[in-house]
Amino acid sequence: MKHFDQRWQICATHARQAARRDEESPFGFASRVASRTREAQQSPSDLISARQALVWLGGALAVLALCAALELPHWHGEPPLQTGIENAVAQLVWSL
Amino acid sequence: MNGDDFDVAQCLRRVREQDLEAARVLVERLYPQIIRIVRSHLPTRAAEEDLAQEIFAKLFARLDQYEERRGVPFTHWVSRLAVRTCLDALRAERRRPELRWADLPDEQAEWLQFMLADETPPPEASPTSARELLEKLLAQLPPADRLILHALDLEERPVKEVAALTGWSVTLVKVRAFRARRKLRKLALVFKENHPYETL
Repeated sequence: MKHFDQRWQICATHARQAARRDEESPFGFASRVASRTREAQQSPSDLISARQALVWLGGALAVLALCAALELPHWHGEPPLQTGIENAVAQLVWSL
Repeated sequence: MNGDDFDVAQCLRRVREQDLEAARVLVERLYPQIIRIVRSHLPTRAAEEDLAQEIFAKLFARLDQYEERRGVPFTHWVSRLAVRTCLDALRAERRRPELRWADLPDEQAEWLQFMLADETPPPEASPTSARELLEKLLAQLPPADRLILHALDLEERPVKEVAALTGWSVTLVKVRAFRARRKLRKLALVFKENHPYETL
């Protein structure tokens, strides 16, 4: 272990002599990557419009749900304000 | 790019205009450079083609960020992007592969024995086995250390080039290389103590 660094360098010198592996791109790789890139370049606008549509849809559903919640208590034709509440308000105003 | 009359600027302009053929040509041109980097810094469980594909996807997505500057060739920008992507992939690797005598083919074991012993001469084993063993030893190190030693010792790149490739200063590269070698020595020592080889 005294000469580990030296021995590492000797081993590295031998390792550098190892034949290089094939560095050509595999068949169809370039075309595949290029076409995926094109899809990716085209998709952002589609994605943005899809997201906007979802936001609008969500907003519309929320408004609909709010309206339904407000309307639900009066579904059976009950008056919007109960008499008791109206009387209490009137008495309060009168006492003031 | 490869020493011929390939016009990088024109190719990039066509790629930015979404020319599919230009993108294909660019991938073919850059593939050897990228696959060399990928093979040097490949996580254990990753497929080299997948990682190369990820690098190309990033390259095309960030192509607008590349600005032609004097003295900074496009290939340097590509190399840095590839190195960073590989480092990220290596950092994401949860566990580094364990090195065991029993898993080493005979020729690699001979090289390891040579490195750990003090007196034995270099083995007759093939250069390929030496390379494979060094790759396995480097895989034991943290990603940045592995990158530095691979570039300096296995690829014989000058310190300045490694600095340009990583974005680190020359001093930092030297300091990291020194520390990486120290870690490697320690690892070898621990390995020798824990896994005594019968002929050592």
